[in-house]
Amino acid sequence: MTVLLDPTSEHAPTIRPRLPRPDKLDGLTIGILDIAKARGDVFLKRLGERLGERGIAYRHYAKPTNTRPAPLPLQQQIATEVNLVIEGLSD
Amino acid sequence: MANLEARGIPSVGVATTEFIQGAEAQAKALGTDPALVFIPHPVQDRTDEELRALADQYFEEILQLLVK
Amino acid sequence: MSETPLDGLVAVVKRDCPTCELTAPVLGDLARRARLQVYTQDDPSFPETVSARIDDTALDISHRLKIEVVPTLIRLDHGREIDRTYGWDRKEWERVAGIAGLGPNLPDARPGCGAKNIEPGVIERLRIRFNETGLKSRRIEIGADEDDQEAMHERGWSDGLPLVPPTEERVLRMLDGTLRDPQEVIGLVPPILAPATVEKIAINAVMAGCKPEYLPTVLAAVEAVLDEKFAMHGVLATTMFVGPVVIVNGAVRRRIGMNAKGNALGQGNRANGAIGRALQLVIRNIGGGRPQEVDRATLGNPGKWTYCFAEDEEGSCWEPLSVEKGLQPGQSAVTVFAGFGLQGVVDQKSREPESLCRSFAESLKVLFNVKSAPSADALIVMSPEHERTFRNAGWSKARVYEELYKLCKIPGEDLVMGAKGIAEGTASPRAGTMVDKFRPGGLMIVRAGGGAGMFSGIIGGWSSSGPRGSTPVTKEVRN
Repeated sequence: MTVLLDPTSEHAPTIRPRLPRPDKLDGLTIGILDIAKARGDVFLKRLGERLGERGIAYRHYAKPTNTRPAPLPLQQQIATEVNLVIEGLSD
Repeated sequence: MANLEARGIPSVGVATTEFIQGAEAQAKALGTDPALVFIPHPVQDRTDEELRALADQYFEEILQLLVK
Repeated sequence: MSETPLDGLVAVVKRDCPTCELTAPVLGDLARRARLQVYTQDDPSFPETVSARIDDTALDISHRLKIEVVPTLIRLDHGREIDRTYGWDRKEWERVAGIAGLGPNLPDARPGCGAKNIEPGVIERLRIRFNETGLKSRRIEIGADEDDQEAMHERGWSDGLPLVPPTEERVLRMLDGTLRDPQEVIGLVPPILAPATVEKIAINAVMAGCKPEYLPTVLAAVEAVLDEKFAMHGVLATTMFVGPVVIVNGAVRRRIGMNAKGNALGQGNRANGAIGRALQLVIRNIGGGRPQEVDRATLGNPGKWTYCFAEDEEGSCWEPLSVEKGLQPGQSAVTVFAGFGLQGVVDQKSREPESLCRSFAESLKVLFNVKSAPSADALIVMSPEHERTFRNAGWSKARVYEELYKLCKIPGEDLVMGAKGIAEGTASPRAGTMVDKFRPGGLMIVRAGGGAGMFSGIIGGWSSSGPRGSTPVTKEVRN
């Protein structure tokens, strides 16, 4: 375990903070990443439909396997094509 | 998820309640604070209808974690 | 962890010390005649003359007893030290032990050796283990599966390049570079006006790649930019190009190996690079000043990674910048200037100072826009081959300034909006007047660079130069 001294004025929590969220979803595209666990696809497909009903743009992506992180090209593709990501379904 | 946040893409994960402990351990090991929504375990034996109903039920909560 | 001894004699030794080897028979003798505990720092089988040796390779006892030299002989009474001697000195040993006739075949005295527990690297680890560091900063545990570089980047600590992980050991060693109290506050760092303690600055200096000996210069640079006359908040928040440019004068330059000669403004020198970077990391991490947040720079400039160099005083016929600013020659100092980029002044033909001054003036007049006057301040980095021209003509620095201010005047009609077919310009008609390009005191000259090349540099300043915005600030480098 490495222990480092905080170089900041210590206003932020010690863990990595989440990225700041946008004020609203208008004009943004949401990626829906299926991590390839059983039955997750049905759930995620429905989330997509609901986004569509709201007029929010979305795209579906799928990891080839749930046992490893998403391959680099897929990560890069997602990062260039969408603004936000919903991923699932872990169990 | 951590990977995509590191690329500047705010992310929310959906997991089943079975994953709560695992998610905590993983977050600690990685020093992250992932945005997660937990739905009742299990999902494998649910019908399509039930899964779609769950998606409807948790839809708002998931979106809430993507905006301020 | 072994218990601290309470009573009798205590000796601390190591095999890797000829004086300890020399005293081994004396220790054997003392062990038979008195209550003696021998602690060994390196080899638990030493000294063979004593059977009840105690392994102190972890150095805990040595640290608690504050051993600096081995051998050390101490007399304790109910856990209290009442006497101590170090090295080998027969009379001293006999006094501390209260026993006469020690080591009859030994020389009268021999100096000891440095103890292991105070070796660099070791002492820091012991201070951390005994919780004696006095460091106040929050400890951040990096997860077992985290890569430390990635962890630092993702916490937002980096300017984009790799960082040296600021471990407690490294920060303690960095703090050895100054005599100042780690909790001394050097100033408040904008934008969030967080206190810059020596400790926080040292952490950022570690990350930037500084050696401990650079720390006093980093501290002086931080102190300078936090002087209200420098207006660091504005320099950070402006959409313009500027960031702090650090010019180092005086003895410290050569002491820490800074570059004032060839490629002085470029890459390749650790002190130049790390000191300037440390200053930027202080703004980023302590102050929270980050690009696209409070730092609104449209383009910024590459010097916002690091922008620090030394003046080549030795070869100059002029007083150094720090002396112009009121310090003594040789006194170590930093001057900070809100500047950007570098515009070259190429003149390979002028042999007369008048001609060379006109070259500089014409180059200076285009700063920001040929129609901008009065404009920002400017820093001229004069190359040795250009300075030589003035030296040969016997021109003082003051005379060069005077000539440049005189030449950097622009006819008012040239500055009006639309003049020269350029919409940019001033609305108020100033026809018939000559307008100064620079405010009085708005030009600075330092000498740096390689011996070959009739090429000097102009570092442009901020549009809000002067008392209403940012003025250059000079601070002494103190240990």
